[in-house]
Amino acid sequence: MIISLNWLKKFTNIDISVDELAELINTRLVEIESVVNISEKYKNILIVKAVEVKSLEGSDHLSVVKINDGGANHYVERDENNLIQVVCGAPNITSGQTVVWLPPKSVVPQTFGTAQPFMLDTRNLRGVISNGMIASAKELDLFDEHTGILVLDGDIEPGTSFAKEYELDDYLLNIENKSLTHRPDCFGIIGFAREVSAIMGKDFVSPDWIMNLNPYFGEGSGNISIVIDDADISDRYQAMVMTDGDSKKQSPMILQTYLARVGVRPISAIVDVTNYLMMLAGQPLHAFDFDKVRSICGDNVEIHVRFGREGEKLELLDGKVIDLSSDDIVIAAGETAIALAGAMGGANTEIDESTKTIIIESASFNLYKLRATQMRHGIFSEAVTRFTKGQPAELTAPVLGEAVRLVREWTGMQPVTSVADTYPGKRERQTIKVPLQKVDDILGVDMSILDAANSISHAGFGVKIEDSLIMNVEVPYWRSDIHILEDVVEEIGRINGFDNIKSTLPMRDFTAVMPDGFDIFRNNLRRTLVKSGANEVLTYSFIHGDIIKKAGQNPEDSYRLINSISPDLQYYRQTLMPSLLSITQPNIKQGYDEFALFEINKCHYKPDGLTDEEVPLEIDRMALIFAAKAGSGTAYYRARRILEFIMGDLNITYKKITESNNPILSPFEPKRSAELIGANGKTIGFIGEYKKSVIKNFKLPVCSAGFEVNTLELFNLVKTVGKDYKPLSRYPSTERDICFRVNQVINCGQIIDSANEILLKTDLESSIEVIDIYKKESETKNVTVRIKLVSYSHTLNGDEVTEVINNVVNSVVAKLDAIVI
Amino acid sequence: MQNIEDVKNNLLSQIAASDFPREILKSSELKKLYGAISSMPVEQRGIYGKSINDLKIVLESAVLTKETEAEDLSVEQIDITAPFDVNGGKIGLLSAENGSSHPLTTELENVINIFTRMGFEAIESRQIDDDNHMFGTLNFPDNHPARDGYDTFRTEEGFIPPAHTSTMQNRILKAGKAKLEADGQIAAVSYGRVFRNEDIDATHEHTFYQCEGVFVSSDATLGQMLGTLRSFFEVYYGQKLKIKTQPAYFPFVEPGLEFAIEKPVALGGKPGEWLEMLGCGMIHPNVLRSAGIDPEKYRGFAWGGGIDRLVMLKYGIEDIRHFESGKLAFLRKFV
Repeated sequence: MIISLNWLKKFTNIDISVDELAELINTRLVEIESVVNISEKYKNILIVKAVEVKSLEGSDHLSVVKINDGGANHYVERDENNLIQVVCGAPNITSGQTVVWLPPKSVVPQTFGTAQPFMLDTRNLRGVISNGMIASAKELDLFDEHTGILVLDGDIEPGTSFAKEYELDDYLLNIENKSLTHRPDCFGIIGFAREVSAIMGKDFVSPDWIMNLNPYFGEGSGNISIVIDDADISDRYQAMVMTDGDSKKQSPMILQTYLARVGVRPISAIVDVTNYLMMLAGQPLHAFDFDKVRSICGDNVEIHVRFGREGEKLELLDGKVIDLSSDDIVIAAGETAIALAGAMGGANTEIDESTKTIIIESASFNLYKLRATQMRHGIFSEAVTRFTKGQPAELTAPVLGEAVRLVREWTGMQPVTSVADTYPGKRERQTIKVPLQKVDDILGVDMSILDAANSISHAGFGVKIEDSLIMNVEVPYWRSDIHILEDVVEEIGRINGFDNIKSTLPMRDFTAVMPDGFDIFRNNLRRTLVKSGANEVLTYSFIHGDIIKKAGQNPEDSYRLINSISPDLQYYRQTLMPSLLSITQPNIKQGYDEFALFEINKCHYKPDGLTDEEVPLEIDRMALIFAAKAGSGTAYYRARRILEFIMGDLNITYKKITESNNPILSPFEPKRSAELIGANGKTIGFIGEYKKSVIKNFKLPVCSAGFEVNTLELFNLVKTVGKDYKPLSRYPSTERDICFRVNQVINCGQIIDSANEILLKTDLESSIEVIDIYKKESETKNVTVRIKLVSYSHTLNGDEVTEVINNVVNSVVAKLDAIVI
Repeated sequence: MQNIEDVKNNLLSQIAASDFPREILKSSELKKLYGAISSMPVEQRGIYGKSINDLKIVLESAVLTKETEAEDLSVEQIDITAPFDVNGGKIGLLSAENGSSHPLTTELENVINIFTRMGFEAIESRQIDDDNHMFGTLNFPDNHPARDGYDTFRTEEGFIPPAHTSTMQNRILKAGKAKLEADGQIAAVSYGRVFRNEDIDATHEHTFYQCEGVFVSSDATLGQMLGTLRSFFEVYYGQKLKIKTQPAYFPFVEPGLEFAIEKPVALGGKPGEWLEMLGCGMIHPNVLRSAGIDPEKYRGFAWGGGIDRLVMLKYGIEDIRHFESGKLAFLRKFV
């Protein structure tokens, strides 16, 4: 929204600089996005009289014009009559006109502030000197006007500054609308001025007409009637019929310049009245051609405010034909729709130059319905922007009263009868009891009751003080956003300046807050992964259905967005791995040959169902991918090495893959993957290399593998594993290596398990690890394990050690048909 | 036409039995079907052509499945219990020098850490939620124009990827109600990922991180809110800071404000330069009420701000899109 400073000044006295004003508005009312000084744009531009107009010899459209500038410009050549010569190409120039002259060295306002500002000069045109130019409304950056130069009415002294005459020595404040969503009153200059007055600590005098809720509309009734079919859709609908005037009349030029500077195109006096009052009071109005309405529904004009009907169509003023929905509010003449309420009029009742009689509508509509209509049809007019802020029903009458006055004044039209008025949504004026203590308590201030009361009474609230402690606050009719005590407290705080409130800290006892165990765990997990040389990534929660498919998952198991930005972001991911798979190849391409990427985040898998709160279950996951561009060897072990590093002491069992419907498993190749089982018997996740199809789909290097786990399950497991510290033994430890030759189908886990059966039965502390796997012949392999033994009671002698080792050997040999070598 | 069905069944069973399924796509039976098009009456060609194309799609997918199966069959089993490869020897880790955590998670941890020390519990925000938590319990009636500002996504089922971490506010209030009524305070922050249907550019993302705070007690004031926020930012930036506010409208607070700090020296700030940090305000009585808390007895304040911006300012990151790009070139700047 654009606010003109000069317009504001018509309603409130502003005696501070524009910068100070902007700062004050910023901190106490609304954010100003920018302040634009337009006086520069109209610098040196003069209003002049065209004294003599002759056509230029040899040209079919140019005229040589002699203008009188009252001697105001000191830099141009003049003729003996003190007139200045300008060549003009407009067809509508005639002598005697009052026009606008852009002298040499001035810039065409239309080009002001653009990349290529056009500066005028004295030029020789076909052998004739031309000083500057005579301007059209478009060149003056006011509005599009194609008929030619701007011709001004009235008696204006030649040489008068154009900016001064039309108050264009102005500043425009660009207001960020969003924080006024709840303030319909601030969408009009009067309401905005009232607020500016209040934050400057001054009383505001509202124009009489806006305070007059029952203006006199004349006598008689009967030419139209109004029916609001559903009381929920309109609190009030008023209409006035006026006739016998000049509908071709233009509104006063100064008014046109005010409309133009805030972005509204002047059209005709009647339309300008509706727009002017909308800009002034925030109440949109609409004018229908009465005769067109009559031709639709006959002489008995019955206006209906109703919902749209199935299959009903309406051509709007902008020429667009829309399909009405049964949720749209429609204005109808008899059975025929003539306007989309609050949003735009219909083409079938548009006023034009032949209009003789008009209906002016002043109404309020259900803002929620209008908002839906606005979204449905994509209409963002000035009117609907205001209607969707919820302007009060009381406002329709004063504004209609003023509209009737202005239409009469500017076009000569007269009311035919009195107003037609249907008012089902009449509400009682609200009074709110506000104890001063509440103001102090909520804001954390110690305010005097007079300061509190004055601040809001400046903004038009009625305040009666009771027992010097309580304010009885009467809410003015235009503040439809004020309902409860807190709303009034906000106004007091805001108008006095929130920044004047002293900041303090809440009191609290010394009880320590214990950070959440799971959070601490995740942070530790992250740090350990980083220590392993991996890089943490964050990737989008939404992915393309194709990525899901490429990873071997089913998109139907994902929650799907109905309004995604692109197909790339349409589905919630079920697991993290597909995201990691899709960023691996791009990194290889960027020249990273060997790396591990990991993510800790939440995933959503539709078959998991809903929580007790009836929202989808969220699963915390952690996934890692290892990739080596030219890697040889089995990638599985590279990933496993990282997993061992982060979970080494958790005694994870690597179990052969069996059928599972866990979506984590989908991308993994079962023959080269393992299910990770915790000591508590629960599945934590999966580790492995990827299916051939997955490698192909994501263009992965052959040497890639990864793992994905359920972080919460992992946390639960970690909680059960106590960090049992055993004191160091005072006696030395002994190590022995044993090499077993076994059939190649025997796996390392079996050897360790058989050995542990013996080791765990001894009273010694022992550890065992595979240190070498060697395979030469096709049927067997040699697995070397290192066993470490230590006693807490004495130094082990050779015989004791040999006995334990022999037992281990016997066990492994017997169980696995191994040979010791 | 019935011919097509026969050919389909025949070829599908051939594919199932073949070691070289792709060869079957070149079968003469298929070629004959194609050949027949030209001898058809023009008006039938369209339908016929479409059924042949459909057939081709079915066959190709069958070939692909068969090929994948064959490939999968050729995969060698490995010893998943072994620590390394046969003849491989012990494996080292990647160089720890290259490891990095994501700047957003690092910063989030830092922010939460400060709030925890100030006495706030931390709760991670949900990434999918319902209308009631996202809007309803926060005093946004259906179709309220203030909903427009949030540009929410929706799933088929009507769930919402939350557009603010305030989606946790009702849960925090409900969970803290007993404690509030016993000893007088709720103090919590919720943090996490939020989503908005926004076109992305260097400063806008559809996915970003927020941290939200909630404090309720029998005597909370707006002055306390300003003090709490100032205190957080002074600890975060390690210097005294000036603060400034601006009236703002959020249906879940009353009064509602935008909160700005004077740009800290660490960020190259000069006096008079301000940084808008977050939105805040006194919790609206309806919001307390919807969690069963009596607004006559208790008051609270709440705030919420973005984490991405803090990180961008701290490191001078030029493009918000780097965060979720997964590019090592970016990630390894934070080793």
